[in-house]
Amino acid sequence: MAALAMAAAGLGRRLRELGGAVGRRGVKDSDDDFALVQRLLPPTRVPLPPPHPTYPTPSGWSPPKGPPPHLPYFVARSRLHNLPVYPRLVKGNRRLTLLRHIWGNIWELERDLREDLGVTDVQVNEVTGCLRIRGGCERELRAWLLQKGF
Amino acid sequence: MFRAGGPRVAAAAVRAWAWARGRAGAVGVSSAPAGPPAAPEPRREKPLLPALPRSPILRACSVPVPPHRSPVQAWVESLQHHDDECRGLTDLHPDVFAVRPRLDILHMVAMWQKNFKRISYAKVKTRAEVRGGGRKPWRQKGSGRARHGSIRSPLWRGGGIAHGPRGPTSYYYMLPMKVRVLGLKVALTVKLMQDDLHIVDSLEIPTADPQYLLDLARYRRWGRSILIVDVNEVPENIGTAAAGLKTINLIPALGLNVHSMLKHETLVLTLDTVTFLEKKLLWHDTRYSALYPFSMPYSDFP
Repeated sequence: MAALAMAAAGLGRRLRELGGAVGRRGVKDSDDDFALVQRLLPPTRVPLPPPHPTYPTPSGWSPPKGPPPHLPYFVARSRLHNLPVYPRLVKGNRRLTLLRHIWGNIWELERDLREDLGVTDVQVNEVTGCLRIRGGCERELRAWLLQKGF
Repeated sequence: MFRAGGPRVAAAAVRAWAWARGRAGAVGVSSAPAGPPAAPEPRREKPLLPALPRSPILRACSVPVPPHRSPVQAWVESLQHHDDECRGLTDLHPDVFAVRPRLDILHMVAMWQKNFKRISYAKVKTRAEVRGGGRKPWRQKGSGRARHGSIRSPLWRGGGIAHGPRGPTSYYYMLPMKVRVLGLKVALTVKLMQDDLHIVDSLEIPTADPQYLLDLARYRRWGRSILIVDVNEVPENIGTAAAGLKTINLIPALGLNVHSMLKHETLVLTLDTVTFLEKKLLWHDTRYSALYPFSMPYSDFP
């Protein structure tokens, strides 16, 4: 029995001397192909939009015209670089338009919207920086925001 | 917890905004300050460093500031001497330290922290669990008394409870991650705007005496309770000094939470902690929704 144990210990020592690369079962550890795995891992951050030859792009997206316009208010883009204009439906048929990410003087923006777009019912939430407009006017609002330079 | 106004609030607003416009260069030296630029008066116990940095801004924002916003600022203090309150200024990212004051979000997160780990052990016995009551107490008709089928009915004294609390109840729920992150940002903003947020260059203090910390806090009017946050290994002196104090608490930056910030009057952050918090919290502003849990591997998880 003691001889058997000595033989087993000797075998283990010989295997260990072979080096770390070769495992106990003769399998070699290799991380050469791990780059292929890393290629598949998805990113967490939204990238900056690449430059396009013409705007709007085939999907209808346009970047802001240039640097922030000199206005008392600013409408920031959403995290996916879209204009933060969202349609809302209340009780199945009442259409609202929600405008988010407003910084600065939100009341000036409300006044300009009333003048330029002719909207009448606007609800201003100063704490969250949101505007709710009665009626579905997403298309007009997006065009207006783009023209203002947001 | 929220004070409506007062001279300290006004001082905080001035402190945060006054330097935002007339800043030249705005180039921070590094996340670690080079040295104390402007000591109020020369002191004997510390040699006056000769080289003054050109800009009083010791640290710039670690994440680029969007063009429609400008960074807020705070003084950088030091714990080395009780008069060492103005080592320089630091830029703070407006999307972390100057967000909208969403007190509703703050309340949601504070209540979530209180409730999600709550288990209510309230339990009462129903009529089936109260001992006895298997026999009809008197016959249905002819006795002149009201009809009853069990002496443990909820109508009876000593009977079971109808619709009582049943057993251990879990109040666990999870707020969305973005709401929790916004809660942290709002809490940091509120602390800064109320002049309850103090930035220090490091947590090194000259002695391990608890009385030194207490005297320092009293001299600087830091209030009754102080939360000190550090992202690095805590220095030995301040660890020893704060160990026996109940009102001065040290936590790592990963453990920063809304409840502790509201519970303590004053929040003390180191410069490295500010950088860490900005990186961690602003990542949520540019990230996708999770494809799979963020505990699994992603290519650019911060």
